[in-house]
Amino acid sequence: MSHSTNRAESPPTEPLLAVKGLRKQYEASAFSSAGKEVLRGVDFQVQPTETVGIVGLSGAGKSTIGRLVAGLERPDGGEILYSGQSIGRLRGARRRQAASGIEMIFQDPYESLSPRMRIADLVAEPLRIRKKYRGNRAGLEQAVRTALANVSLPPERYMARYPHELSGGERQRVGLARAFVDPPRLVIADEPTSMLDSSLRLELLALMDRLRRDSGTATMLITHDLALAYRFCDRLLVLSDGEIVESGTPAQVIEQPAHPFTLRLVQALREFHP
Amino acid sequence: MKLGTLGGTGRAGMMGRIGLFLLGAMILFALLGPLLIPHDPMERTGAPLAAPGDGHLLGTNDIGQDILAELAAGARVSLTIGLAGAAASMTIGVLVGVLAGYRGGWTDTLLMRAVDVSLTLPFLPLMILLGVFLGPSMSTQILVIAILMWAKVARELRSQILSIRTRGPVQSARAMGAGDGYILRKHILPMTLPLLIPQFIQAVTASILMESSLSFLGLGDPLAKSWGSILFYANARSAFLTDAWIWWVVPPGLCIVWTVLGCSFIGYWLEEKASPRLKSYAAPAERGARGWFRSRPSRTAASAAKAGETLRIDGLTVEYPKPDAQESVAALRGIELVVKPGEIVGIVGESGSGKTTLAAAIMQMLKHPAESAGSIRFAGEELTELSDRELRAIRGHRMALVPQAAMNALNPVWTVRKQLTEAITCHRKLSRAEMEKRIGTLLEQVGIESRCLQAYPHELSGGMKQRVVIAMALVNEPAFVIADEPTTGLDVLVQAEIVALLQRLQQQLGISMIFISHDLPVVKRIADRIVILERGAVVDEGDPEQLSRHSTHPYTRKLMDAIPSIGRLEQPLERPRPAQPTPSPEPLHAAAGR
Amino acid sequence: MRIAGKLLQYALVILVALTLNFALPKLAPGDPLSFAIGEALAQEMTPEARAKAMQEAGLDGTLLEQYGSFLKGALTLDLGHSTKLGEPVVDVLADRLPWTLRIVLPSLVLSALIAVALGAYAAWNRGRKRDLWLLGGILTMESMPGFWLGMILIAVFGVQLGWFPTYGAAPLFSAGGWSYAAAVLQRMVLPVATITLVSLGSYFLLTRSAMLDSLGQDYMMMAEAKGAGKRRRIWHALRNALLPVYTHMTMSLSMLVGGAVVVETVFSYPGIGSLLYESVLARDFPMMQGVFLLITLAVIAGNILADLTYPLVDPRVRSRRPREGTR
Repeated sequence: MSHSTNRAESPPTEPLLAVKGLRKQYEASAFSSAGKEVLRGVDFQVQPTETVGIVGLSGAGKSTIGRLVAGLERPDGGEILYSGQSIGRLRGARRRQAASGIEMIFQDPYESLSPRMRIADLVAEPLRIRKKYRGNRAGLEQAVRTALANVSLPPERYMARYPHELSGGERQRVGLARAFVDPPRLVIADEPTSMLDSSLRLELLALMDRLRRDSGTATMLITHDLALAYRFCDRLLVLSDGEIVESGTPAQVIEQPAHPFTLRLVQALREFHP
Repeated sequence: MKLGTLGGTGRAGMMGRIGLFLLGAMILFALLGPLLIPHDPMERTGAPLAAPGDGHLLGTNDIGQDILAELAAGARVSLTIGLAGAAASMTIGVLVGVLAGYRGGWTDTLLMRAVDVSLTLPFLPLMILLGVFLGPSMSTQILVIAILMWAKVARELRSQILSIRTRGPVQSARAMGAGDGYILRKHILPMTLPLLIPQFIQAVTASILMESSLSFLGLGDPLAKSWGSILFYANARSAFLTDAWIWWVVPPGLCIVWTVLGCSFIGYWLEEKASPRLKSYAAPAERGARGWFRSRPSRTAASAAKAGETLRIDGLTVEYPKPDAQESVAALRGIELVVKPGEIVGIVGESGSGKTTLAAAIMQMLKHPAESAGSIRFAGEELTELSDRELRAIRGHRMALVPQAAMNALNPVWTVRKQLTEAITCHRKLSRAEMEKRIGTLLEQVGIESRCLQAYPHELSGGMKQRVVIAMALVNEPAFVIADEPTTGLDVLVQAEIVALLQRLQQQLGISMIFISHDLPVVKRIADRIVILERGAVVDEGDPEQLSRHSTHPYTRKLMDAIPSIGRLEQPLERPRPAQPTPSPEPLHAAAGR
Repeated sequence: MRIAGKLLQYALVILVALTLNFALPKLAPGDPLSFAIGEALAQEMTPEARAKAMQEAGLDGTLLEQYGSFLKGALTLDLGHSTKLGEPVVDVLADRLPWTLRIVLPSLVLSALIAVALGAYAAWNRGRKRDLWLLGGILTMESMPGFWLGMILIAVFGVQLGWFPTYGAAPLFSAGGWSYAAAVLQRMVLPVATITLVSLGSYFLLTRSAMLDSLGQDYMMMAEAKGAGKRRRIWHALRNALLPVYTHMTMSLSMLVGGAVVVETVFSYPGIGSLLYESVLARDFPMMQGVFLLITLAVIAGNILADLTYPLVDPRVRSRRPREGTR
């Protein structure tokens, strides 16, 4: 494969994120008696400033990967190394310290912003949680203003508003501002556009792409939309039934899919994108 | 104002006002009554069993105590115990609920065990047992109420917290590294507090009723008069066998009813306000009756129907009047649309464009406050003028709908067979064998194995459910089908299958179809003609090829350009690359699989 | 797994009920022997007789030994003797239980049927005047204490109109046969009416809200699109709404039995409820404990019945096997 030849040439830099043998099992629910294994040993790495797309069907385990890396769930097996440090099982203040610089953007812009907080407070929340700008109101406000301006939401017009006064696209920009207000090193975007109208999708992803380039951030773009991932990612991971079945540059994956599952996915894509 | 136009919230608001009035009046009575009534409820101030009048507005009891004075004193006792009992049980319940819901794990298991046990124990006998052993007094009553009622509060609160914990704001705060204290303080408590108020009201209601039962059984404070204890004495003296029941038995009970009713009205109002889910259904207007649903077919349109058109819509406007304001929100504005036999018309629009309203309007299934005007002619018949009965004969028979959210369009408690059969029996009588044959052919057409007939909806995958819904729409061989977002919520692979299926069926059966979707690529693939809908109006129309290549309408262009075409982007990244990232040195998992 | 958990739960409830029975007399101020054999008897005893009585009542030895012998007694259905009647508690209970069942079971069935019908009707007509009036009426009914409603019914239908007897469950003197049965039925009317009316409210509200939930679901739109008529569509919604109503109904047996306690008292109906009341008045502690235990067992029986029959009404619990298949 083409990139195996690349490997020899490139200097062995340390990856920002290294996931090894990641496993996750969900407990039996009311309707399924047996526990379901959603991740069955997933390995991948994310280099600094790289955008990695994780694509697959619903239920393939894409979101679970994101949630595990973001610390919203704990793995049942395997390791998550962030800057060389294992963070998968850390909790509380130690996790906060070790995982600093990991941010998450959620799928549902209607649900992820607390309806009783103003936009300014929502954007300031990550800074408050991490006790940055403590006792420095002016600094905090300046950071919030900058973050809002960076996502093209004029601060003076938006800071005092509530989420319900915003459209879906605007809310998702607030989500972006939240993710980038405290300069991140790794942004996990879990289906950031799937709830938006298609005319807004490209726009939002382009904005995210600009922000991550400006700040030199690595990104994990989790999406079911192969076409979007193709457009915005440096590398694609194809997930099926809790395993990564294919990995490569977007062009490789789309033009020479090696795994039968990827092939089906690409064929379905070509149906609608001739 | 007519009651009907008050709508859900308005009516609940009215109940809230009545409730506040009832409760407020009773509180006033409790506060001022003893000051204004010249009799001491503990003293004999008149003749025994004196009828109302003569200085005793409500007469006297068997030892000559003034009943109105007793009621006022009772109001103080009952309200005090009601509030104190509710406060005590809420305090315990909230502590346990928060602890269980937030800590989870073993704490949760143990506490919830205790809650379940406590809820299973029989309420009233336990109350009596505790009352007897602890000795009758007001503090016993409050204690008993607290012991009996904390569990319900705890369980409710825990489930609320569990659901809040999975919601977006909490999840994103946790992803930011927020600690337990922060999340509890900033997110969970502010979100649960509004839900606690109706619970508190409920607890007050229950406490007042429990107090009256305890006192009625002689387990109240012997030194205090409460409404229950008045009734205890009345019962012990068999007051209902004499005429005195009218002034001795009825008033204390009415006091209880008054207070409890006030609380339940307030509780109902608050609950209705807090849970918008209950607003999702309102009684449909009876067609033809003067009501919310007015339909005015325009005269110009009525004559315009031509032969050879399956469907013709002229000047269709649908508005949703806002309950508070005068103006209404237009969902559709002056729609003109023609569907020819055997044609697939794709309707594309983004959220809020009125796509689904259009489907509902054609089916004449608009939801409650909608008002529509214009003409909808189906095979020459003016749908807006038909009666309920005539419409029912058309729906699902000559004109079918594959509704949006087909995932939930099947009734979960019935088998696929039963639901398919029902679709037939709604319209025609078939013998058993004919029915079997029809269903057999249908399954063949939509590609479902016959063993799926025995299945319940939850046993099927999303794609299978969608096929069943399509089968249900086609079961009576309609001439015209509206498919509303039939691929939404399905995986790409399944989407392709469903589109292919619809295309094949349309060709095989020669039906006309309206295919509604927000997904332009999908519509381009299947439709003969595309209609672009923007904020309730048709802004562009044409065959797919022409629209995507030549349309100059800015909105159409925007939609077309938003398709991330993989063909067009030969070099996928036309942006300056950052420092070339080192390709992944990790072993390819897929390589092992091949 | 789930069934085992449930059984454990019920065993736990019985244990808690028994423990409460054991512990309450110990915690309460007063002479434990008085609780066991009655105050009058306990106070007259010589110290020797008292010691013997303590031993017989299982009140000697350490607390743990006492607890052990108490549990053993309970398991062998030895709940002591009624201090008032002098008979074994179990015998008295067996005597009284049928009377309670005679009014509780018809009330359960009646209130369920009426409430479900009215609830479905109100939900279907949501936002109309009828719904408002029904809701208001039912809320009013629900805010009435059962004992008070009973008293009013007696005063109106028993005393003023003279339609029904006001007292007891059976005539004192009777030739038996049909006239006896008629007399018993006649005496059932008012208690059953009272319990039915009082328990109507919660079933009605639950049915109405469950029904509103179902009416807003997508399958109702599908049913309408199919061309189903009003009756079919109501049945679509009601069939789903019945699931929570059914669960609530079987579980609410305890509320109903509880309600029967006060109602029986008003009507002097010789069931478990009046028995409890009489024991309270006479401070007949063993009897009270026996009643409490019996009602607990009845409640658990109701719960088990609900668990066993729920799969019959909800197919989603019945089958877990996913079925698939495309051609």
